[in-house]
Amino acid sequence: MTELLVGTRKGLVVLRGKRGGTFDMAARAFPGEVVEFAMRDARSGRYFAGVTHGQFGPHLFYSDDPTAKWQQAEGPAFPPAANAAVERIWVIEPGAADDVLWCGVAPAALFRSGDGGKAWALVQGLWDVPERSHWEGGAGGLCLHSICPWPGDPERLAVGISSAGVWLTDDGGRTWRRSIEGLVPRYLPEEARATTHAYCVHNMKRAPRQPATLYMQFHGGVYRSDDAGATWLDIGADRGLPSDFGFPLAIDPDDPNRAFVIPLSADADRVMPEGRVRVYETRDRGATWAALGDGLPQTQAYISVLRQAFCADGGKPLGLYFGAQSGEVFGSADGGRTWSTIAARLPPVTSVQCA
Amino acid sequence: MPRVVLTGSICQHVGGMSAVDVEGSTVRAAVAALEAAYPGLRGWIADERGVLRRHVKVFLRQETVALDAAIGPDDELHIVAAISGG
Repeated sequence: MTELLVGTRKGLVVLRGKRGGTFDMAARAFPGEVVEFAMRDARSGRYFAGVTHGQFGPHLFYSDDPTAKWQQAEGPAFPPAANAAVERIWVIEPGAADDVLWCGVAPAALFRSGDGGKAWALVQGLWDVPERSHWEGGAGGLCLHSICPWPGDPERLAVGISSAGVWLTDDGGRTWRRSIEGLVPRYLPEEARATTHAYCVHNMKRAPRQPATLYMQFHGGVYRSDDAGATWLDIGADRGLPSDFGFPLAIDPDDPNRAFVIPLSADADRVMPEGRVRVYETRDRGATWAALGDGLPQTQAYISVLRQAFCADGGKPLGLYFGAQSGEVFGSADGGRTWSTIAARLPPVTSVQCA
Repeated sequence: MPRVVLTGSICQHVGGMSAVDVEGSTVRAAVAALEAAYPGLRGWIADERGVLRRHVKVFLRQETVALDAAIGPDDELHIVAAISGG
């Protein structure tokens, strides 16, 4: 049985079904509230949902059964000295150490839980980097949306911030350094690029079986790092992608050479190129990309997929799932070769994660 | 003792009650007392800076008031969420 956690603008939808078969809605939680992100920590079996109530703000909830009652976590919330308030919960990621989870929020900050996600504390080291005063948000706000732990090494972590670049720590979050070498912010005039802090990372994933390998969807550009984020290589231009703009990114956790993106036409036109819904796959670390669209809408489908609404399940063959702002969830049980619509007429989808 | 009257979904955080009596000589102190008694409410009315949520209003004697407004033992505060959204 496959379980998908689908965050929507009007609640959390839990879909359950057989890989390659039909899915049913097992539960709908937080009705009417915006569920920005939901995931399951496979180590503990605990589920998490970042929920923004229209009047009462963002809050994090957890549950051992997503069809039953959810508990509110203690935080994430800024300490008084930070003089800031959490605006949105963007991502929750299991850490490399037992019971450690990380949470990225807007305004861009990282929180850590050492008790399995019940209580959260600000990672002060990142909040205090001197460059933070220069950080600015993109259209989605100043957000820390990507967290890449290093399997087996709890001290090493990479995070992606829009629009403040990639930040790396080798000491568990006490000190941080920026990682932007090789990234080209084409959205800025050339004369402004040398000194800018505005590196608009859209998504970043680490290959767990080869942790020095990272893939990134940038605001115009797809990149790979072979050296743990020290430098970045352009793998988006002239290699088969219809556009190198987009947000969703997925990787095959068992194959560091394999990644998937869902390009959008351009930053000024955030829909599927030519109205055709296609996922693009590389099997050679970004040297070439090939379209995967069998079973996906191929005419007049000017839909959009948000940053957190694409995931891979780690199965063999790989399962891939993504949700659209138009309320469909699409899935593939054969690594993207064929696709089916596994849910439709949902509210706008904000996130899709395999449980 | 001032009384805080709650409406809507926020009541779930005070055991489903719609009114709670709390100590406090300002709106802020009353909200803090409410949060202390019901920790699940922390961050819902005001954020972690102590700033009232943008779409939440506090009414005292049918007027909107700020968190620093003084209140008396016989006052009734109404915490109301705006009708908003899409």
